[in-house]
Amino acid sequence: MTDPNVTLQTICAPSEDVVARVIEDELIIVPLASGIGDADDELYTLNPTGQAIWQKLNGARTLAQIADELAGEFDGTRADIERDMLGMVGELARRKMVVAQ
Amino acid sequence: MTQLEIQQFPLWDKLKAKRVPLSFDLEITARCNNDCRHCYINLPANDANARARELTRDEIFDIADQAAQLGALWCLVTGGEPLLRDDFTDIYLGLKRKGLFVSVFTNATTIRPEHVALFKKYPPRDIEVTIYGSTRETYERVTRKPGSFAAFTRGLDLLFDAGVNVRLKAMALRSNLADMEAIAAFGRARTKDFYRFDPQLHLRFDGDPVRNEEIRQERLTPTEIVALERADEKRFGALVAGEDKLINAEFNHVGCDHLFHCGAGNGSFNISYDGTFRLCSSLWAHGATVNLRATRLRDAWATLVPRVRDLRSRDPEFLATCRQCPIVNLCLHCPAHAHLETGALDGATPYFCAVAHARAAAIQND
Repeated sequence: MTDPNVTLQTICAPSEDVVARVIEDELIIVPLASGIGDADDELYTLNPTGQAIWQKLNGARTLAQIADELAGEFDGTRADIERDMLGMVGELARRKMVVAQ
Repeated sequence: MTQLEIQQFPLWDKLKAKRVPLSFDLEITARCNNDCRHCYINLPANDANARARELTRDEIFDIADQAAQLGALWCLVTGGEPLLRDDFTDIYLGLKRKGLFVSVFTNATTIRPEHVALFKKYPPRDIEVTIYGSTRETYERVTRKPGSFAAFTRGLDLLFDAGVNVRLKAMALRSNLADMEAIAAFGRARTKDFYRFDPQLHLRFDGDPVRNEEIRQERLTPTEIVALERADEKRFGALVAGEDKLINAEFNHVGCDHLFHCGAGNGSFNISYDGTFRLCSSLWAHGATVNLRATRLRDAWATLVPRVRDLRSRDPEFLATCRQCPIVNLCLHCPAHAHLETGALDGATPYFCAVAHARAAAIQND
């Protein structure tokens, strides 16, 4: 289930209630505040595409602009990239790990 | 996105193979508002010298940054009583903001509503609280602090009423032995899946001879320790079930003169209130520590730890006894505790030996 309010015109940034860290080239997201995730000792990892999306969520660009950048970095049709990105960012938003600006 | 319980993190094996410091303990103060008879670290709450030597908040954050850069994920904030520090909230939140899973050891006597609010909004991985007694009489016999039992129960109630994740534990000693059954009931009534007790006391980090003698007086006899373990069905069952891992001739390390066969320094380290880095909390031997006010953590981890772990014994008595002992996993003996007891990393402690043999006999005779 994703957040229906996340569209290509949305501008998102990582929530202040999570901490993202890179360990051994793997990006992990550690919940800081309650209400993120289901338990107090859970963490989250992203695949390489997810990592690239996360690192572009800077609170300044729309998701459409981020999709433009991703299209130049990853194989796949523009429609596939947009669908995957909206799915992931929507999931992050539902979990309150990113916030719309 | 993959959601994982921290124990399932797929990088663990990779990180362990690279000897990454996954966890560390931070003793943010040695001061405590209690004066427990058995404590290995506590200094008076108003000890100005101890307070002056404590790492500052910024020094703690610098160390935590270094630890996180090396791959650390867990941090235990302990003391002394960590809540005595005026900047505890800043330290706790700052460590969380480094992306660390933070646990806290506290006696709960100074828990205030603002602490509860903090832990509710920014949950610790867990909070561990020690039960020194189930009654005021027993509790304060151990803590030597009038009013501490009421403060303890008040703090505990605040935490439990708010749903904070608290685990309860106990130390078994002479002063609370008669109360241990009630202490266990007190603990189990409040924590569904976790209550444990430790009947083995080690000596103080500062070597204070008067306090060390108090600790020796508080130690239970081997018979008493075995009786306590037998009375705890779950604990004793686990000991019996794990007999092959606890009593095994392959542990004897014949022909090896390395002192360290434990996990100290393999994936964790300790920092004292004044910045002293150790491989484990009890390892204070000369040459086995370094102060992080003068040395970077990366250097301590890369240089000191391997050097300490390569230390050897030249004591023929140790090599012929403890080094070859098949019940070492039932014993409190280790180089660190040996040093606290005898001043030598390979010194023998007859009390530890007697306890280990009594435990082994109980397990094997069950």
